[in-house]
Amino acid sequence: MDAFFQTYFDFTIIEDNFGYVLEGFWWTIRLSILGGILSLLWGLVLAVLRQLPGKAFAPVRWLTVAYIDGLRGIPLLLVIFLIYGGLGALASEGVIPEAIGIPRWFGLPSPFWYGTIAITLTYGAYMAEVYRAGIEAVPSGQTEAARSLGMSHGQSMRFIIVPQAVRKVIPPLLNDFIALMKDTSLVSVIGLVETVQAGRDVYSETFNASALTLGAVLFLLVTIPLARFVDWMINRQNLKVQRGVP
Amino acid sequence: MSEPIIQIGDLKKSFGELDVLTGIDLEIEKGEVVCVIGPSGSGKSTLLRCINLLEEPSGGTIRVAGTQVFGDGKPQNLDQLRREVGMVFQQFNLFPHLSATENVSLAQVKVLGRSRGEADRKSRELLGRVGLDEKADEFPDRLSGGQQQRVAIARALAMDPEVMLFDEVTSALDPELVQGVLDVMRELADSGMTMISVTHEMGFAREVSDRTIFMDGGVIVEQGPPAEVLDAPRHERTRKFLGLVLAS
Repeated sequence: MDAFFQTYFDFTIIEDNFGYVLEGFWWTIRLSILGGILSLLWGLVLAVLRQLPGKAFAPVRWLTVAYIDGLRGIPLLLVIFLIYGGLGALASEGVIPEAIGIPRWFGLPSPFWYGTIAITLTYGAYMAEVYRAGIEAVPSGQTEAARSLGMSHGQSMRFIIVPQAVRKVIPPLLNDFIALMKDTSLVSVIGLVETVQAGRDVYSETFNASALTLGAVLFLLVTIPLARFVDWMINRQNLKVQRGVP
Repeated sequence: MSEPIIQIGDLKKSFGELDVLTGIDLEIEKGEVVCVIGPSGSGKSTLLRCINLLEEPSGGTIRVAGTQVFGDGKPQNLDQLRREVGMVFQQFNLFPHLSATENVSLAQVKVLGRSRGEADRKSRELLGRVGLDEKADEFPDRLSGGQQQRVAIARALAMDPEVMLFDEVTSALDPELVQGVLDVMRELADSGMTMISVTHEMGFAREVSDRTIFMDGGVIVEQGPPAEVLDAPRHERTRKFLGLVLAS
């Protein structure tokens, strides 16, 4: 039993490396927040493109569906390598400017930006599906009322359908955000020392897993309250439904 | 007499194999109040929904206020049509994320280009007219079904339509709330609004309508002043329907 505690809960090691792991966690937080916001926006754009009406927009709808299916069908890890390898190579070939190929925007290192781009591309596709469920859950009478008042498709989406859809899907979007936050650890493979990599660095120096335990605790400090919050929101929505409130 | 405000010629509508309207000819004069009655599945709601092209007809022509809005198998001048025809639904379809006033104001601002202040003034005036001055800032989930339906009527009126369509607007209401909505509609009819109302309220049809239309099987079976159609129907199908409805 002592060996177990030694391996996972060596407080000396935790104390000595607290700053290092916390620095990694700060990358996790920044990746999660920026990637989360961009995925939310990109997902909404995709969901709206997918709902464009009429024959003329059929190619746009088709491309959007292909994109969503495609990105949901490849591992995020692979997307990270594709972005990292691809953009870097294109920049060194001179096909795209170096400012885009090897981004160091706002003074942040390029692995951070490759990771943010990959996360946005993949999680945008996931979130597009969540938004779609929300859009389809808005009763068709809402569209009919909007159209009968003379609103265009775009106006009825913007002022009537999307505002209601977003409210309905906040809990599943937050669930996706929790998954996204955990997946930011994959960006370590291209050299970003985020929480998991920081823990591994300490492990390879000390052969002790306590810094990884610290990393797990830091994740849980954010994810458990978020999960409780999601549950609370779902309960509140169910109560509303029971009361017959749309 | 001036040109009818609505002219419908040989209107047909099929849903796949199912023929719902099999050839409707109908003219409605400005200021006329028309009630459409008939058994469920007779096509009366579909007729109404075709008039503002919420359902696209399978054939025929529709003219509203002198402009062809459906012909040659496709909708035309849809924007103009929707501005001139207001619609009220069985399920109210208020926008649940907007207050009563915002429900009435939104399309005024976005579609007609009125200023927010102008739209809100008009909304409050109309909400007053349907007896809801004090509910102007409430959200739909705080209103009874009857109040929601009156907001929906105000919302349609705010667009200054030439014609108002009512699709079984009291069918989803508790019995004690029906009268308030019918009173608003009666007042609207008295003000000279052109109205087409699909309804199960025979009393309303009798007292308010200039003309009552009985539909069955996708056609107009008979029509005329309510006293004739409701009290002395010429067709067996009408008699049978009225026998069933009035007996209950």
